[in-house]
Amino acid sequence: MTRYSSIRNLDWTLLAFVLAIATLGVLQIYSATRNTVWRGAHTKQIVYILAGMALMWLISQIDYHALLDRVPLLYLLSVLGLVVVYAIGDVRRGSKRWIALGSFNFQVSEFVKLVLILLVARYFSEVRRDTVSGSDLLKIGGLVGLPILLVMKQPDLGTALTYVPIAAGGVLLAGLRWKHLAVLAVAGALVVPVWWTHVAKSYQKERVMTFVVPDRDPRGSGYQLIQSRIAVGAGGLWGKGIAKGSQTQLRFLPVPHTDFIFSAYAEEHGFTGVLLALALYFVVLMRIIYNAQTAADRAGSFLCVCVCALLLFHLLVNVGMVIGRMPVTGIPLPLMSYGGSSMLAVFLMLGLVNNVRLRRFVN
Amino acid sequence: MAAQARTGAGTRTGRPEQGNLFPPAVELGSSPAAVSDPAMAYTRRQVVWLAIAVLCWTVVVVARLAYLQVVRRSFFEEKARLQQQRTVEVRASRGLILDRRGHELAISVPVDSICAMPAEIPDPEAVGSILSQVLGLPRRELVKKLAVGHGFCWIARLVEPEQADRVRALGLKGIYFQKESKRYYPKGTTAAHLIGAVGLDQVGLAGVEQAREEELHGRPGKMVVSADARQRQFAGALSQQPDPGVNLILTIDERIQYIAERELHEAIVRTRAAAGSIVILEPATGAVLAVANYPTFNPNQPVRSPTDIEKRRNFAITSAFEPGSTFKLVTVAAALEEKVTRPEEVIDCQMGSIVVAGHRIRDHKPFGRLTVEQIIANSSDVGAIKLGMRLGERRMYQYIRRFGFGRPTGVELPGEAMGLTRPAEQWSKISIGAISMGQEIGVTAMQMAQAVGVIANGGMLVPPRVLEATFETGGKPVVMSRSPGRQVLSPETAIHMKRMMEMVMLNGTGKLARLEGYTAGGKTGTAQKIDPRTGAYSKTDYVASFVGFAPLNNPALVVAIVLDAPRGLHSGGGVCAPMFPRVAAEVLRYLQVPQELPVDPSLRRKRTRPDPQLLAEVSDFTPDNGLEGERREERGERRDAGTGRRGEAERGGGEPVLLAFAHAAMPDFYGKPVRQVVEQATAIGLALNLKGSGIARRQFPAPGSPLPSGARVTIEFER
Repeated sequence: MTRYSSIRNLDWTLLAFVLAIATLGVLQIYSATRNTVWRGAHTKQIVYILAGMALMWLISQIDYHALLDRVPLLYLLSVLGLVVVYAIGDVRRGSKRWIALGSFNFQVSEFVKLVLILLVARYFSEVRRDTVSGSDLLKIGGLVGLPILLVMKQPDLGTALTYVPIAAGGVLLAGLRWKHLAVLAVAGALVVPVWWTHVAKSYQKERVMTFVVPDRDPRGSGYQLIQSRIAVGAGGLWGKGIAKGSQTQLRFLPVPHTDFIFSAYAEEHGFTGVLLALALYFVVLMRIIYNAQTAADRAGSFLCVCVCALLLFHLLVNVGMVIGRMPVTGIPLPLMSYGGSSMLAVFLMLGLVNNVRLRRFVN
Repeated sequence: MAAQARTGAGTRTGRPEQGNLFPPAVELGSSPAAVSDPAMAYTRRQVVWLAIAVLCWTVVVVARLAYLQVVRRSFFEEKARLQQQRTVEVRASRGLILDRRGHELAISVPVDSICAMPAEIPDPEAVGSILSQVLGLPRRELVKKLAVGHGFCWIARLVEPEQADRVRALGLKGIYFQKESKRYYPKGTTAAHLIGAVGLDQVGLAGVEQAREEELHGRPGKMVVSADARQRQFAGALSQQPDPGVNLILTIDERIQYIAERELHEAIVRTRAAAGSIVILEPATGAVLAVANYPTFNPNQPVRSPTDIEKRRNFAITSAFEPGSTFKLVTVAAALEEKVTRPEEVIDCQMGSIVVAGHRIRDHKPFGRLTVEQIIANSSDVGAIKLGMRLGERRMYQYIRRFGFGRPTGVELPGEAMGLTRPAEQWSKISIGAISMGQEIGVTAMQMAQAVGVIANGGMLVPPRVLEATFETGGKPVVMSRSPGRQVLSPETAIHMKRMMEMVMLNGTGKLARLEGYTAGGKTGTAQKIDPRTGAYSKTDYVASFVGFAPLNNPALVVAIVLDAPRGLHSGGGVCAPMFPRVAAEVLRYLQVPQELPVDPSLRRKRTRPDPQLLAEVSDFTPDNGLEGERREERGERRDAGTGRRGEAERGGGEPVLLAFAHAAMPDFYGKPVRQVVEQATAIGLALNLKGSGIARRQFPAPGSPLPSGARVTIEFER
């Protein structure tokens, strides 16, 4: 195993781009928080990044096959963890998501992503057919659905939704039949109205309504979307300069260092800055896909694809929200948004990708 | 499972891929594990879908961002600016108002205004209470303003320095100070009606302040306040400096204004008139040198009651009165100009009685045959009526209009009255008679001065004006354009009129108006006021007036003096004529007009020791028209008070001190300290009645008044 463990063998190309994005994030956090109560968040973020890199290296050292072997245990622990969070977690902003571990607030649902990625990879790598059967769909739906329900109970719809692309990525890779796709579509079409009338909280409905018609309530729920769009648009081609974005600095932008960091970035760095950031993300995603293709086995491919699908989903929803094309869901922008759990989870996922890469040469 | 996967993978060797982002891994056939495992190959093919999804997402997002940030950039920038910036107006410094010699009549001084940023105030309730105590403002309103929690609001603008200091000393959070300019009138009541005043909002409410508001106002500056999402505001920097208003130079002269006001005040005290005006013009240019009014006000003090508003009325231009005999100047001038008479023509004044349209009008004195000159000098009503009737209604009206009556003079002051002139078609049969002697017509003091200016100017009407020039701070003065004036009378007629007006002073009703050292012309007038209760002419209320100019050739000034309802002695010749030399002589000396005549010591004696006989002659009493009382009232045609009754009234209750034989003239104590006053008064045997302390400000009887030895004099002192 030692021949795989060399630090030199990590995907340094991927890592370089990842660190470039994280640096942009740190700078933006600094700019957006320097006159607020969150002042100093950027140094914490650097610590998270360093810790994430350490974790990444650690997880890349454990052969992913060994991790896949322990999926049942990990899955059980995850479900238990979510139940514990629901029982004893800290209530913040109306939901229970965190367990306090010393000074670090541990968000269990972020790490459940990792377990689900392993679960999906293991499940589909064992299915050695070109297409997924209906029973497979049901089984994987049930396995992923349970944590989704638990997280939705917290309630944290945004994070719960991020579990869906993990399963979807796996199903897609395994080969989804048109018939099943149609059934899923119909099921979704039936479930959504039921969810809307019976399950959805009023604030969730509000967010969706706001997304459909942002100007409906410009002072209230539409406020964040409108302000974000103004910030992005006002950035123009070249941006207003670091710490000079008036939307950001005058606090019109809500949470400009977490969920809306991309708005703040777009305002201060303009279209050119945005192009740079998007190019970096593009390379990172493509590099993960590349690793999926060079994986030694199907399980490795599935791991990489699920990570990629999850990251893409994050980008899709977060950037979509920033540019007014997605409702407000509270999903952070991976690698840029301030937040320890999210950052560590992303680096752990990248650790999985590296894990696969380190073991791409089978002997 | 892991084992399975591993067995599925074929053997392969490492391939260097440094420096190449995406080595050709998509070539499925050559991929490491693909060859041996069809499932692996399928998986790798499926992965491409994900790559396509990533690409699609990137393209869509880039396109959307390009739209937002490049295409619609200005739209969003504007939106951002709108919500982030708020401009608060900062008043400009109001333009100065100077007199013709550059003395400051109205200035602007920077004063603190107190404003608040409610978002920064932690406890609006407490802060509101404190401020309401310190500033004396209603507590409830203050708290309400502060409790809104956002934005910007003024707490109190232009506060007194002590109040600002007290608030500053409190060091309240969220309370700020902004310097704004406040109007201040350094000369107090001087020329108050001319200058006018500003309201609490520093907008002109009267006088030149109101008339030239646009120029004086300037352009307010802008203070950009950037607001954050919670409407807290920062950085109140002036983004646009206020442009100070344009400065005005008036035609008036502070010194002349002072003289006029002093004399008017003295006359008001002496006659107990309800109101009065003195207008002084420079006839050649129409420049108003002074307009004194009583009642007056201090423009530095805010209006507190309706009486205060009444005091702000510029009596000289807003109040129309029946001129009486002074108007005979217009009648005679018109008759001469139209050549219906000559100055030396002798007219039978029918022993003081004439019938006009079936009504008998009586003169104040039974005059026999008088020349036109004597008609003016003696102010014969019958003579004037005869000349008016010769002119006829149409021509009479024409001249009334030509002399500028019945329309505003156009002097740059707000609220000017047009006066009252009815077109000839609306006249009754008796109107021509009444108007010929100055009744049935309303004029203002300013109009009267303008009309006398025509005579003084050799027949040219030059409209009065108060604005000499304007200049921007640091700029060059721009002289106001002047109306060229229009010829109303031929120079010959004007010369005749001047001579007649001189005769008024030398031999006629205006003897008390004679000037020392200067030639002058004048005309007196006394008109009964219409009693608003009965609609008939009052027996007690008169408007006494005098118009004059000096010197005779090249007149330097025209003076119109009006006293409304003087008590006791009330004729123009008695109360207004003596004011003329006191005003004119001092002003002429001040203007350095060379004296034309040696000062005749007898003149001085006559003024200080008037002959009671002379006083009686001089009064231009209003004649009785001889009609029954009821009928007079019925027709609303005035007149009353015959010579005898008026004389009785004077001797009975009027001004006994004035009418009594005087051996000495009352000295002028004005401005002297108590000790000096006492010394001087006891030296000439005056009994003193002293009030107050400090410097002598008012005295009664007035300086120069004749007084019997041993009379009491009241002197008021003020610090």
